[in-house]
Amino acid sequence: MPANAIFGLLGCGLLSFAAVATLIRLRRLPVRARYAVMLAAALAVFVPIGDLSVAAYVRGVTGDLSMATLVLAGAACFTQVTGRGLIRHRDKQALCWLLALAAALLYPFALGWTRFDPYALGFGSIEFIAALLLITLASWWARLNLVVLVVVVAALAFLGGVYESRNLWDTLIDPLVSFYALAWLLADARRRPSDELSCPTASV
Amino acid sequence: MTLRARERWLRWGSLVAVAFVFAGLYVRVLTAPSPRGFAAAQAAARSASSAEPSYRAQLLPNSTAASVHSATAAEISGGRLRAFWYGGSREGAPDVAIYTSIYSLPQKDWSTERVVITREVAQKYLQRYVRKLGNPVVGRDQGGRLCLYFVSVSVGGWAGSAVNLMVSEDEGETWSPPRRLIASPFFNISTLVKGAPLQFSDGTIALPVYHELLGKFGELLRLDAEGHAIGKTRLSWGQSSLQPVIVPRSDKEAVGLMRYSGDRPNRILIVRTEDGGAHWSPPVKTALPNPNAAIGSVLLADGPLLLAFNNAEENREDLSLALSKDFGNTWRVVHRFEGDSRSTQAPVPEYSYPWIMQDRAGDVHVLYTWGRSRIKHVRFNRAWLESRR
Repeated sequence: MPANAIFGLLGCGLLSFAAVATLIRLRRLPVRARYAVMLAAALAVFVPIGDLSVAAYVRGVTGDLSMATLVLAGAACFTQVTGRGLIRHRDKQALCWLLALAAALLYPFALGWTRFDPYALGFGSIEFIAALLLITLASWWARLNLVVLVVVVAALAFLGGVYESRNLWDTLIDPLVSFYALAWLLADARRRPSDELSCPTASV
Repeated sequence: MTLRARERWLRWGSLVAVAFVFAGLYVRVLTAPSPRGFAAAQAAARSASSAEPSYRAQLLPNSTAASVHSATAAEISGGRLRAFWYGGSREGAPDVAIYTSIYSLPQKDWSTERVVITREVAQKYLQRYVRKLGNPVVGRDQGGRLCLYFVSVSVGGWAGSAVNLMVSEDEGETWSPPRRLIASPFFNISTLVKGAPLQFSDGTIALPVYHELLGKFGELLRLDAEGHAIGKTRLSWGQSSLQPVIVPRSDKEAVGLMRYSGDRPNRILIVRTEDGGAHWSPPVKTALPNPNAAIGSVLLADGPLLLAFNNAEENREDLSLALSKDFGNTWRVVHRFEGDSRSTQAPVPEYSYPWIMQDRAGDVHVLYTWGRSRIKHVRFNRAWLESRR
């Protein structure tokens, strides 16, 4: 099996773990039960049923997942298994705003709205990389470490040829994490200010 | 290490990491070869393979599939053509497979068809669920390998399509496992193929593709030797153009002809480039009708541009041949393949999805869907074409 396929399947598996762990609120279970559930989930997701595993069915629908999705899914799994949050609220808020803005720029135009195609820039555009560098440096200056982490691992994955895609956009963002970011921002906006004050290090 | 020291180390370490990865990105972009226009097409013989006008039509074998569609072909070694198409119990059925057959140019006969790939084999190697298979197109890469691109769908209808690539180093006898082309950021869906792949002069492949989700528009993908999409150019936008066919005349100049699915009048669309495909003119309607159906086009060795198309605005019952001596500005219909009252009618009167090519000897071959039940092959020589002018 090609390395790209293994990476893609692992990514879909990680997302499946995160979804299951979050839905059943894994961290409410005893510690040993958490590990048992994750082991059972790993078997269920990666062991083929017939020709394909659950991860392969997920991959058929979602394609390979961006580093933004994988970082958030990994953090969610960590939180559910250990009970400790990894991501600060302001970090996640900044990442979600950037993802939502990027999605608003990318998807309507990539789907043929006008002649302009921002997706083509991801194959290798000096201007696109310059804009990404500015955003990354601004995020570093503002100590938005999650944004910096996502950009760095996405760029490393692009340079290393880890993905089937040779487009930088595909390592940075995907539709799933775009929908998630939008939903998270809407939920965050509706949250009462007192909630934020009492929970300054909200976890994923 | 104190907490503060660790934080300081992480902070400056992350800046160093940013510097390194962006240096890598800039090196990658600045050292990437840029396309230098279209490669010269393989020269076909100027003279016809026979001095006498010759026109021959025959149906390809089909012993298993109730429904067949979307033929494509390439000339292979030993004076042969190899054709591909998809067939199954119906379009979009899970049993649809990609078939192939070989035509001997001297013997003028097609071999019994065989399966190239099924849905089950595709999903095994692609490591993702595949619901159905669709359009194949075939071409060659710079190394002379046959490259078979085919559509697959995991979810939904054709708007949920993606394109896959298999490569053969023995003229189509055996194939590499399929690999997925990534051409769209939206779940990589809604990318399809119909037009023939071409070569750029730097050895990369120019693959005409189109999208059908929300918008209907054409693009020209640039693929590296391994079949990764490494660039693309938009041929059109909006909701009314698809299935581009690109025909270069030189390394810089080419026309693109497209199926039209917009408001009346229903006409074939044309776009042009004069910088090797880097930029394309806005699509304009030609004088030729188009009933929202695929077209095929080829530039003959001595200049005239041929177009196989459905010569009607509403149905696919007339399949005709048009010729242009001014590279697509004006056209003259020179022949009707189907739709003539004297020709044998298919049970379903639909003649569509033409594929047109010229072999090395100069003969022209047209393959198309005949009544959805067979693929038909028409072969004619230059003498016959001259007699129609």
